[in-house]
Amino acid sequence: MSSLRFDQVCFSYGSAPCVVQFSCNLAKGELVGLIGANGSGKSTLLRLGAGLLTPTVGQVQLDGKPVRSWKGEERATRLGYLPQSIEAPLPFRVGELVEMGRAAARKDHLLSCKEVLAAVGLEGHEQTPLAQISGGERRRAFIAMILAQGGKTLLLDEPLAGLDLRYQYELLTLLRSLCQTHNLTVMISLHDLILARNLDRLLVIRQGQLLADGLPTEILTQQLVQQTFDLDPGFQVAGIGG
Amino acid sequence: MKRHPLFIMLGCLGVVLLLSLSLGQQTINPFNLDPLQLKIVLDLRLPRIVVALLMGGSLGVAGAILQGVFRNPLADPYVLGTSSGAALAAAFGLLATQGTGVWLVPLLALTGALVTSAVVVSLGRDAWGVRAERLLLAGVGIGFFLSAILMLVMSLAQADGVKRALLWMAGDLAAADWSVVPMASLLMLFGFVLALARRRGLNALALGDEVAFGLGLEPGRERTLLVLAASLLTAASVALGGIVGFVGLMVPHAVRALVGADARRVLPLSAIGGGMLLCLADTVGRSVLPPVEIPAGVVTALIGAPWFLIMLRRATNGGMR
Repeated sequence: MSSLRFDQVCFSYGSAPCVVQFSCNLAKGELVGLIGANGSGKSTLLRLGAGLLTPTVGQVQLDGKPVRSWKGEERATRLGYLPQSIEAPLPFRVGELVEMGRAAARKDHLLSCKEVLAAVGLEGHEQTPLAQISGGERRRAFIAMILAQGGKTLLLDEPLAGLDLRYQYELLTLLRSLCQTHNLTVMISLHDLILARNLDRLLVIRQGQLLADGLPTEILTQQLVQQTFDLDPGFQVAGIGG
Repeated sequence: MKRHPLFIMLGCLGVVLLLSLSLGQQTINPFNLDPLQLKIVLDLRLPRIVVALLMGGSLGVAGAILQGVFRNPLADPYVLGTSSGAALAAAFGLLATQGTGVWLVPLLALTGALVTSAVVVSLGRDAWGVRAERLLLAGVGIGFFLSAILMLVMSLAQADGVKRALLWMAGDLAAADWSVVPMASLLMLFGFVLALARRRGLNALALGDEVAFGLGLEPGRERTLLVLAASLLTAASVALGGIVGFVGLMVPHAVRALVGADARRVLPLSAIGGGMLLCLADTVGRSVLPPVEIPAGVVTALIGAPWFLIMLRRATNGGMR
């Protein structure tokens, strides 16, 4: 049973093709990583998945219906999307973000406000203004907002960027446990190939095309990494098998 | 028990109202009035207080809306030029009807505010959406242009109408009476209710269009409705007492410092805070140098300009991010 399905999706900003013939099926309970160079189309794919962009060719289906055909509130109850960078010029407090996430969803919430904050390590910070916490904590506060929405499919654009090692692992552990206990489908884009080995499945893209799709331990090879990031053939990446 | 900011603000408002009833060219004890004093209170001070409350409240809410929608702590109806647009259209109405168009003026002000908002937003956006700095520059530019046309119209108009119009432009509430109050309150009510109804959109837009979309909202639709609400409120304020700057800028920031940025709390408290501030400014303006009256708009600008510069400094230092 798939929750999010890309079917022969093509997309271009203006005349430059950005995503080319991309197909994949995200199963329930899967923690999927999106790997690719800067400008390879990772963010565009996540935006297409979230319904922010409409494919020029092909279709993106969320729970069996084109993602753009869901009404706003229904979509928000099914799918959470976190963009890569968020500016918050007004002094929102952590609890207010979580409230916004909860207000977006209609019914039975997956987690309570307290549970959501505990999950991202911000318990007791309801009243803390965003401006008074570090960049990494701010990112976790926004992840708490997305979790509070209660969607079963999460698309997170580089959620680990700016987090220290501990919170990178803790966030990945949290996402994994949500996938297992609540049958969530999570797709994240990331750059850390070592962390990527902890995921269930990797989608590797280059210039908008799917280059490889499979178990991290099976597909992550020196050759694939060199190809993905246009590295010199002699360049060996530490921690990646032959 | 934790003291709720709403009760604190209502308490302050009560004090300001008492001060405003008592102070002026003649100091009056509002609890012990002789017939002449009763007349002063009912015919002069009360209409001024009501106009100041409605006008300041409209400006405070309009500022809270615009700052959230455009993700810019420096936005308000004055800075974005919508006040000037509303004032220009209203001035044409006043001059054309020789000051008799009581029902016409608020509607013309609304038209002016809507057209100016549309122009400023379209100038302030590029292919990727509305840009905060661009929008501000467009607003300031348009605002100066429209103010210049207003000055031009007034210098060409008949001398007797001009002084009144000039005082009105400077935000002088001395001429306040009940005539515009019903129509302006109606506009204010529509604007306030519309903004409250779109509170979720206002919160979400403050975090960016992509976040708002992810929360299940249509950013373009929410923005249009909220700018409409801000235009209704701006038109109400201009019809009541001309152009008063800085209330819309200062009040929402002060309120957010007290209760956070959630629109559910910021909108009502900005209404109370704005009304209170303008009422206080008007009371100060007519009490400090009797018999001279300093227009309320001048008093708010005297406090507001330094505040604006502090905000600007904090914004450029990244303190607002």
